[in-house]
Amino acid sequence: MGLVEFRELKIKSMKPTVSKHELPLRPANFSSLIEALEYAALGETGMNYFDGRGNLYASVPYQLLARQAKTLARRLLALGLPKGSAVALLAETNPDFVRFFFACQYAGLVPVPLPVSVNLGNHRPYVEHLRALLADCRAEIAMAPTDLLPLVEEAAAPLDRPLVGDAKAFDGVPEADLALVQPKPSDLAYMQYTSGSTRFPRGVMIQQSAVLNNLFGIVNHGVKARPGDRCVSWLPFYHDMGLVGLVLAPLAGQLSVDYLDTRVFAMRPRQWLDLMSKSKASISFGPTFGYDLVARRLRPGEEQRFDLSNWRVAGVGAEMIRSETLERFTRRLAPAGFDPKAFLACYGMAECSLAVSFAPVGEGLRVDTVDGEILSSEGVAVPLLSGSEAGKVHINTYVDCGTPLAGHEIEIRDDQGRALPERQCGILHVRGPSLMSGYFGHPDTTRQVLSEDGWLNTGDLAYRVGKSIFLAGRQKDLIIVNGRNIWPQDLEYIAEQQPEVRSSDSLAFVAPDADGEEQVVLVVQCRESDSGKRAQLVRRLKSRISEELAIECVVDLVPLHTLPRTSSGKLSRSEARRIFIESTSERAQQDNVDLELRRLA
Amino acid sequence: MRNYPEILSGVCELLEPFAGQSGHNIGEDTDLIGELELSSLKIMDLLMEVEDHFDVTIPLNRLPEVRTVGDLAAMIDQLVDRPS
Repeated sequence: MGLVEFRELKIKSMKPTVSKHELPLRPANFSSLIEALEYAALGETGMNYFDGRGNLYASVPYQLLARQAKTLARRLLALGLPKGSAVALLAETNPDFVRFFFACQYAGLVPVPLPVSVNLGNHRPYVEHLRALLADCRAEIAMAPTDLLPLVEEAAAPLDRPLVGDAKAFDGVPEADLALVQPKPSDLAYMQYTSGSTRFPRGVMIQQSAVLNNLFGIVNHGVKARPGDRCVSWLPFYHDMGLVGLVLAPLAGQLSVDYLDTRVFAMRPRQWLDLMSKSKASISFGPTFGYDLVARRLRPGEEQRFDLSNWRVAGVGAEMIRSETLERFTRRLAPAGFDPKAFLACYGMAECSLAVSFAPVGEGLRVDTVDGEILSSEGVAVPLLSGSEAGKVHINTYVDCGTPLAGHEIEIRDDQGRALPERQCGILHVRGPSLMSGYFGHPDTTRQVLSEDGWLNTGDLAYRVGKSIFLAGRQKDLIIVNGRNIWPQDLEYIAEQQPEVRSSDSLAFVAPDADGEEQVVLVVQCRESDSGKRAQLVRRLKSRISEELAIECVVDLVPLHTLPRTSSGKLSRSEARRIFIESTSERAQQDNVDLELRRLA
Repeated sequence: MRNYPEILSGVCELLEPFAGQSGHNIGEDTDLIGELELSSLKIMDLLMEVEDHFDVTIPLNRLPEVRTVGDLAAMIDQLVDRPS
């Protein structure tokens, strides 16, 4: 038997970890990540990794993970790093990442997941991004998958640290004869790079007590875990929802989880549904975009192939929730047994470990339909009674993101910092035990968002009904035209409605024109090269915008891949605005030069 | 057995539907991002077609160095199984 056949046979005989076991479910009531892992290690559940062809290639019961993490921790201790040193982990979806993450816990080191966003031809920008992150977190060591080592080494070369290696290199270090570390509640559990400019990264510091508090909330208040639940995830391990929601939360609830690499999902999104069907999973999460991608990719009649009848929690978050898009997913997959009541809207951010609020589980999406005219003129979300939509031009729908986790409070404030009553739109503030302790190495930025009395300014625009949060957009991106509030998301939504434009292909903002006058700008990535068709798209967009929002708007078509993104992969409106202003002022200068030249001629 | 020129012409064929109406003449030197303006989702579609057509698994770390159709064909050339 050749090596290849042997490997095939090994893969075929490998079994995923079970969903049900004897160990009583402890709902994430632990004081450290180590304590959570060691309880899970008493059972038979664990983590399972699937490749691009849908085959299981690794199965790691929590019991094995705990043993491996302790061994590796003794090797890391042998490196003699100061307690609390940052350990950068290139967060590819694989067992090594999780093993190193937990080894850091036992060794008193702080794991820092870094993005694996390699793509066609992006060598230079990716290396520069990595370098900025390694420098910002002052990583002492960096672990990367073997095939990414050259990129990480190149990124680290001009820095005085970190020491870079693959898993094998660190596994070759002899174990130290030292006691493992017992973390205190105030010790950092990990650091997470999040939204914000790619050029100015911000590392969110999360203490053991913060993440454990949040995990308790996710498992109890959020998904209300039951014995026998099983999770599936394709979310990146460097994303807050991927890491806290689908790596740490299943472990803290002793649930088995099946992983699909994010790139595999992007390439073959239907594999998500294959895996859900095959493993009879009951819990999975994703942004609206993920559900959209699957629904678009389904072939006619293909839904018969799937069995989604066990799916009881289909979490949605991480970006504005579009109920219409999710309804399309339901229409396509109801024949496969998908129950729209499984949709669970949630709201959160890395600065609050992950979750701030969850809608009630098992009730599906609850949508608030409000008068868009009154919302933009007075900032009040006035509900439209059913039947009264007729004749209204401006209708906005918002999804109920539920009530805050226990021990957390929210306030909607106006721009003077005064608390606003129900249904008044303002800036969402959160206070509670899951909040970060700050941005690493950036006390000034921390003070801008986190007050001394513990309130986090989320920067998000929202209103509340009772204690329920309805997200309406990002505060710093709000467009105000002649005293009227315009939500950039609304402009972008109009763009996305056009057949030539996809979601995440457009950004809207206000920017000064060459004369300093404020103008609303919609930048759209466009693959169309025919100038007649481009002009037609611009005309159509302008007329739809003026029709729906009654504003004038500059529409700027740009090539694909030119909209800037943050380190967590979200489109960066502020960066797009900066680039637009720069290019218009360059154009204005050029115009002046042209004028001077003509005068001379 | 497949050799580089055959792989190259196979890649060009796979690329035709992706070039769309842009009317680009696809050849070895065509820039996948710059000229064909493939979106990140289109790129994922293309990679899937390539993996299925040539029965290979494309390693993540090779992507950053791939800019042209020729680069892509050369990468596949190194990945395809050949009886030794």
